[in-house]
Amino acid sequence: MTPTSLENVFLVAAGLFVVLAIAMFYRAVVGPTTQDRLLAVNVLGTNTVVILALLAAGLDQSWFLDVALIYALLNFLMSIAISKFTVERGGVL
Amino acid sequence: MSLFAYSLVIFILATAVATVLFRDVLSVIIVFGAYSLGMAILYTFLLAPDVAMTEAAIGAGVTTLLLLLTIARTTRPTTDALRERIHVPAVVVVGAFVLLLCTAVLPDMYPVGSTSTPVWSNPDVTQHYITETYEQTGVENAVTSVLAAYRGFDTFGEAVVVFAAGVSTLLVLKREVFA
Repeated sequence: MTPTSLENVFLVAAGLFVVLAIAMFYRAVVGPTTQDRLLAVNVLGTNTVVILALLAAGLDQSWFLDVALIYALLNFLMSIAISKFTVERGGVL
Repeated sequence: MSLFAYSLVIFILATAVATVLFRDVLSVIIVFGAYSLGMAILYTFLLAPDVAMTEAAIGAGVTTLLLLLTIARTTRPTTDALRERIHVPAVVVVGAFVLLLCTAVLPDMYPVGSTSTPVWSNPDVTQHYITETYEQTGVENAVTSVLAAYRGFDTFGEAVVVFAAGVSTLLVLKREVFA
């Protein structure tokens, strides 16, 4: 089962997206505010969904998309939860 | 392929180190979410989608929510320092211990996909699960079928333990619902 050239393209693209994830994580570490970090992790989550979809195409495993869907939902939930709990006391926690 | 694997490992290591070193609790929770994202990709890459789903649900979903609820109901220590100060003797001791474990354990590990692993020491049993699982349980993923069907009572017992823990927490808190 040797991957075709198109599947290799998908895998290389997935690799580049992981490199981009490191760049996004730089923002999450440097901050300086919590909002910056929250936004960085939210973009990271979207990035993860893209990586999982590319992996599904590159490795020809369609059930990877299930994981991608769960992550898309949970990423949204996580951002909402952090946003809600950090302003609950009137202002940033 | 290797570009993907290496950059993923670097990403996970960076998130893990950041989780340990951050001083601010809220930042730690957010960065830990990023760590969980990386681990889920790694599990998926190693062809374990069930573990990846659990990591997604527990790591990103439940843990984040639980920790957020905790700091929302308690206090968040205010600090100006960005990161924790590193205690050098502790780092040396823990680092030496991890290095010892790695050198002791890692050389004995089988490569991914190796057919000489202990799983294959009894090929008949392994082959039985691979060939008969779908007909007997109707579940396509062999690992999931073992969890939910072949050792269903064990999984049921685990669910009972989690349920009992939840009930006892409510008893201790003297509440009727998780608010």
